[in-house]
Amino acid sequence: MTSLNTAPDLTGRNLSKRRAFANRTATILIGLCVLIAALPLVLVAWEVVTRGGSALSLGFLTEEIPRNYRTEGPGMGPAILGTLAITGMAALIAIPIGVLGAVYLNEYGKNRPLARFIRTMADVMTGVPSIVMGLFIYVAYVLVIGEKVGFGGSLALACLMLPIVIRSAEEMLRLVPDELRQASAGLGARKWRTTMSVVLPSASSGITSGALLAVARAAGETAPIIVTVGLTYIYKPDLFYGENTTLAAQIYRNATQPFAASQERAWGAALTLIAIVFLFTVVSRIIASRFAIDKR
Amino acid sequence: MKLNRRAIIGGITAGTLAFGLAACGGGGSDEEGGSGDLASGEINASGASFPDAFYAAAIEAYAEVNPDLMVSYNSTGSGTGKSEFGEGLNDFAGTDSLVGDDDGVEAGSFQYIPTVAAPITISYNLPGVDALQLPQDVLAGIFVGAITTWNDAAIAEANPDATLPDTAITLAVRSDGSGTTTNFSKYLEASAPDVWTLGSGDTIEWPGNAVAGEKNTGVAQVIQDTEGAIGYVDLADALEVGLVTASIENADGAFVAPTLEGATAALDGAQVEADLSYNPLNAAGAEAYPITAPTYILIRTEYEDANVAAGVKEFVNYLLTDGQALAAENDYAALPTSLQEQALEALNSTIAD
Repeated sequence: MTSLNTAPDLTGRNLSKRRAFANRTATILIGLCVLIAALPLVLVAWEVVTRGGSALSLGFLTEEIPRNYRTEGPGMGPAILGTLAITGMAALIAIPIGVLGAVYLNEYGKNRPLARFIRTMADVMTGVPSIVMGLFIYVAYVLVIGEKVGFGGSLALACLMLPIVIRSAEEMLRLVPDELRQASAGLGARKWRTTMSVVLPSASSGITSGALLAVARAAGETAPIIVTVGLTYIYKPDLFYGENTTLAAQIYRNATQPFAASQERAWGAALTLIAIVFLFTVVSRIIASRFAIDKR
Repeated sequence: MKLNRRAIIGGITAGTLAFGLAACGGGGSDEEGGSGDLASGEINASGASFPDAFYAAAIEAYAEVNPDLMVSYNSTGSGTGKSEFGEGLNDFAGTDSLVGDDDGVEAGSFQYIPTVAAPITISYNLPGVDALQLPQDVLAGIFVGAITTWNDAAIAEANPDATLPDTAITLAVRSDGSGTTTNFSKYLEASAPDVWTLGSGDTIEWPGNAVAGEKNTGVAQVIQDTEGAIGYVDLADALEVGLVTASIENADGAFVAPTLEGATAALDGAQVEADLSYNPLNAAGAEAYPITAPTYILIRTEYEDANVAAGVKEFVNYLLTDGQALAAENDYAALPTSLQEQALEALNSTIAD
């Protein structure tokens, strides 16, 4: 007879043989699945680091892109600047609009037909292939102004990011307890005030990490960039003048050539891009944990 | 209004850049302007990927001649290059195929300028067989799917000295729309009209034993990885990957290996039209390599911006003169002198000084 005072034995040491066997088999299977799931990630990281590591140097990060595929040596600076500037501008467009949209959906629209419609459309938009966004901006912006510019790429990436930002921000706003809103209202704050100083700050960590993940995803897009921003070899800080380039576009351009020099540059660019995306993700994790609600 | 503002912003940016460069250089000779009359600014081009490696080399060499004029060439494919030319998005376009009715380019708004040509190799992977000779009908038979094993009687007849295994033939073809496919299928259509029934175009409905790869590099990869594979790849890729190439029977009945000399001989034997387009496929001449693909640049007959016009003229002029010397080392065939002169003449009359 077991006494109620002793804790139940959860170690599994006293399990029947059949159950112990089933337990062990299941544990091993699950462990194997984790390994199998992690394997491609590890292999990709390993391959990129070993192949791209040799190309990477200070010069690789700062020098202009060689115009000839066969020319050996470094240079991806303009593509790094282009990636940062184009995705940065896309984030500037998509994040405010997306967050405000999410505020409407969760705080004002709720289950109204318009809000439901927007929610459905955002879900559909997340599934649209990126090239479709690229072609849309090509027709709606590039052909209208008659020139390929970096800003076109920003618009295409913003279109890609927008639904992700809206949906992730809305989920985060939904997690904010209603008690907070009621307490704020009880103290006499108006709805906009409640939203601005209670709801959004409480959800800020989740919104930020969601937004940064959207940025990280957009930074790796190739197809919409190729159709909207064109190509350059030199630094183009002005997104409104002249064709531009990004790391993803340069990976595609250099990797499809048979020459060893350009393929090495492609691997180097791949490593740089992964490093940038990794940096974004780490920053988003830090922000998420720093501002998490329960830690304040 | 919009255009003006952009022009102003562009002008300011270009001005700042130029000023900065002049300040950096410190030489001050740039400011005289009278000495060389070199154009400055930016020229954006896009189009065929076939001549991309040559243009990239020429652009790099040209940057040393005139660092103030930035030329970029984006290898988007001939079709995209032409439609962007029609939309006014690029300053000149590269194309392997002639302008058709549905390419979006207005008739009379452009001039063809031939730049280089290159042989399309028939590369294969068959250990122990290194000097394959393919008559025109046999080549078409292989790619139409009628000949499916390497020891087929038709292949054996043309190669009495080779020991052919019974390996199945795998066709390595392009997955993307391509000017290389257009030229290759046009060649098959012209050389073996009775056998080749799949038509011509930048995509072909290949038979079931075909494996597709993206771009020339992808096709070269398929051939390298698959024993028994045969495919059409440009010379630069075939040489870079180290593929074995077949000799092809030309219009005169001679078997010719894919070389730059063979390509130049094909250009010599081709009939040049009044608009400077020409067809070196299956050209006459004992030395001519039959699958030689031409490539052109489309320049506008009217440029809105005189500066851009001057830049295009200067760069294309470079391609046709000093740039021709770069062709051979990049595995492209230079133009024969007569064609080169015609091209320069057309350039000078299309873009007046």
